[in-house]
Amino acid sequence: MTVTTASRFSLESINRGLPGFARFCTYLGAIIGVSAYAMYGPDGYGEDGLLYFLTASSFSWIGIGALAGLASGTALGLAKPSITESKTSVNTVPFLDGALLMMLLTAVEALFEPAADTFNYLDQSNLLSGSIIMTMNITLLASALFYITHLFAPASIVGRLATASAWVGVYAGGSALLLRWYESYLLDVEIGHAPVSNLYEVFILLFCITTIVYLTLESRYKARAMGAFVMPLVSAGVFFGIWLSAQGHAEIKPLVPALQSYWMKIHVPMNFVGYGSFAVACGAGMAYLVREWLEMRGAKASLLAVFPSLDQLDQLAYKAVAIGFPAFTLATILGAAWAAEAWGGYWSWDPKETWALIVWLVYGAYLHVRVSHGWQGRSLAWWTVAGFLVTVFCFIGVNMYLSGLHSYGRL
Amino acid sequence: MKTQSWFKPYFDRLSSMSLAIALLTVLALASAIGTVLLQNQMQTDYLTQFGPLWYNVFVSLGLFDMYHAPWFFGLLSFLMVSLTVCLWRNVPVFLKEMRSRKVVIADKSLKGFHHLKRWKLDGIDVTEAKATVSQALFDWSQKSEEEDGRVYIRGDKGRAHKWGYILVHSAILVILVGGWIGAQYGFRGTMSVAENGTDNTIRFLKGTKTEQLKMPFEIRCDDFFIDFYPTGMPKEFRSTLSILENGEVVVDHKDIIVNEPLYYKGVRIYQASFGDGGSAVTLKLFDPVSGKSTSINTEVYKTWKDPATGVSMEITNFRPFNIENMSGPGEAKKFQDLGPAVEFVVRGADLKSVKVKSFLNPFILNGQNRGHMIMVSLSGNESDFQAYPLGLDFSQPTDWALYTAFGEALSKRPDQQDKEANFAAFREAMSKVYGEQRPDDFQEKGMRVLQAMSNLPGLPWPYIPMLEAHDQVYYTGLEITQDPGMNTVWVGSALLVIGLCIMFYVPHRKLWVVFKAEEKGVEITLGAMTNRNKLGFEHEFNQLLTRVDEALRPSTEKRSAA
Repeated sequence: MTVTTASRFSLESINRGLPGFARFCTYLGAIIGVSAYAMYGPDGYGEDGLLYFLTASSFSWIGIGALAGLASGTALGLAKPSITESKTSVNTVPFLDGALLMMLLTAVEALFEPAADTFNYLDQSNLLSGSIIMTMNITLLASALFYITHLFAPASIVGRLATASAWVGVYAGGSALLLRWYESYLLDVEIGHAPVSNLYEVFILLFCITTIVYLTLESRYKARAMGAFVMPLVSAGVFFGIWLSAQGHAEIKPLVPALQSYWMKIHVPMNFVGYGSFAVACGAGMAYLVREWLEMRGAKASLLAVFPSLDQLDQLAYKAVAIGFPAFTLATILGAAWAAEAWGGYWSWDPKETWALIVWLVYGAYLHVRVSHGWQGRSLAWWTVAGFLVTVFCFIGVNMYLSGLHSYGRL
Repeated sequence: MKTQSWFKPYFDRLSSMSLAIALLTVLALASAIGTVLLQNQMQTDYLTQFGPLWYNVFVSLGLFDMYHAPWFFGLLSFLMVSLTVCLWRNVPVFLKEMRSRKVVIADKSLKGFHHLKRWKLDGIDVTEAKATVSQALFDWSQKSEEEDGRVYIRGDKGRAHKWGYILVHSAILVILVGGWIGAQYGFRGTMSVAENGTDNTIRFLKGTKTEQLKMPFEIRCDDFFIDFYPTGMPKEFRSTLSILENGEVVVDHKDIIVNEPLYYKGVRIYQASFGDGGSAVTLKLFDPVSGKSTSINTEVYKTWKDPATGVSMEITNFRPFNIENMSGPGEAKKFQDLGPAVEFVVRGADLKSVKVKSFLNPFILNGQNRGHMIMVSLSGNESDFQAYPLGLDFSQPTDWALYTAFGEALSKRPDQQDKEANFAAFREAMSKVYGEQRPDDFQEKGMRVLQAMSNLPGLPWPYIPMLEAHDQVYYTGLEITQDPGMNTVWVGSALLVIGLCIMFYVPHRKLWVVFKAEEKGVEITLGAMTNRNKLGFEHEFNQLLTRVDEALRPSTEKRSAA
């Protein structure tokens, strides 16, 4: 009884009940408003892309949608209180809050953008997003170090620092991408496009998504030790991203005709939800293997106490695959739909497509052995690690070693 | 049925999970081969890469077009059969399981539950307790029964879970069927139509051979247009197409771009590529020996042969724009359009055949006219082009005149090689071409002529080919496809996603509540289980307990107070 009363005033409770549900409906209304504006707005959504949404008339549509959402959400919640506990609302509201916060952060960052004459297409070094991405790199690397330290000093503040710096990294990376989107329009309205068009941009997206998936699992299941395995994976990616930018891949480049499609904005991020979740599953798998190894060697109980139990780690790995697999399936289907519109067929056995199929088969087999054969524990932990290696090959290896239609992210 | 006795073991094996996993693994490995071994290349490329022995081995295994090879098709069919048998066997079981909801549960099985809670309450009877708990479990679909003086409630959530399996597995079957229909009754090929040209035949690769298919209509390319970014990257290519059936226009002037195909009678027409459609070019051949020049008219993809020397030029391409980054290493990029250029291969009896790119305009760098240049690729590859400055601006007749006059003046002084003599010769050439009126940029001209003097004799050809005029024609590269199985695939895809969502996010949770009358009150046992999301259920179960606790408390408190 006391527990529930206390939680009513904690931070979590604002996501529940009427405040949570009303907010959920407000966001829903705003999303419907912006979609309606894209489809039926004046002059129509065209080449001006993002700028089309940064207009007074667009904001009025979004505002009307949000207000309508707020009103109907409040009314619904008052009329039928049980609806306010709906899982969809409770689970998605924190993410929508986060997205709003990220957009506000980007708006603030945009105020500090250097004067227009200090950058142009040929010299992009003065753009603000570059420094914000550097901030993200540093905080993510720091977070990995903190998480590892946390394993050996679980009682100290370092664990909370690790989580905090991971969150800072997510917000820096996400807002840098949004800012880059805006900057691409500052360079030239013709060049402007969503920041998911080359390897460098999707790498940043991957860091953010992996970290978000991990942090969500961490906060729900108190599995901070897993961070010592997930964040080093992200850090490896950060180093790769730094190398890419040193090679001159960090520039905003105009889109080739094949990428000029709204499908890009849907297909690419969805794919990275899959990749990111598989990375987290790999982290959980590694944590499992390390804990098991520590147990066999008879490690100190204090060290073992930091880790979630073997069973929990096994469940967490599965949980991450359960997020990644449907997302990856959907992403592949969306890719097929795009291919049907751009390349003349939904499936061309292009190396990227084929490797996506292989990744899908690997995790499909994982689910089969788990659910039907009742496999658990070590062999599945190894499976998540191996599956992630296949995923990495699908993501980067194909770009490096194989040619094909997906040559946009070529190294 | 008696026949089942011999058939059944095979039938069981076919639908077994081990076979399914083995199939998935083999399929994954097989698919990987085709990504490492380039598919559908030219026969000659394979022969040089692997040699005749391995070439024949690979051909007989169908590895050069393996995704359409019979054995790969067999693998997919095997997967389909296995899936069908699996569904055939399991769907009735699943449906039965979903329908049967046993309410009465034995104490022994209840004890084994991971999630279990027991209350012993005084001053309340079974009926009332049952009503209270049942109300607290309002969001569970309930069923209750009485047996041996005990009351049971069975609650279910996510009973649709098994539908997830059924949907996912049938969806894959549907997608495979859709793919098969497409492969069997569809086609996919390319067609190149020059501007104002008409064509009705598509070409596609079958193995390593090209095959043709005639369309029931003709496609006319009315116009082709390319737009470039300032960096020289193509921004958009757009074809204006008309479709003719029996000479009658059925689709008139429709634009297609990449990502926006044209749909006509089940056939989709995509913008895929573009190229030169046989542009007319005029080349001016300058003879450095005689000082004369002649113009020739030819076309891209044609070969012009000089009857006098036997030297031939095969025109391979024409480009109206040639945007290059003119910055030095380490500098900020600086893009410049070098203007139209024609590419050709020069061949001759005593000549090494090379690829040459010749520009219409002279090369202007930082406002200074550096004269024409050509680019030469000794290997014939695009990436090996190297600039070769000719010095002269051939678009100005005076440059050529000055050059020939200078040559003449020099040849008059064969025994004098010093600077003074060169100046004298240049002055003589100047006055021959311009008289007393020296042009303002004579110094620039002088530099150009001097450079030409050192560079032009180095050319191995009997003449210097310069682009003089052009009339450009593009061809548009179209991809033309028909896939009657595509909609089936989309239906399958939708089912797959819905099925996966049900499977992963709607776990089947079951609970039993047993009410047993005690001396003074009632003993309530609540046990629950889930088949998925065990971590999340921990939280849900605790919430459930709090709710039941809260619901039961007032009734017992009231009773004890009374």
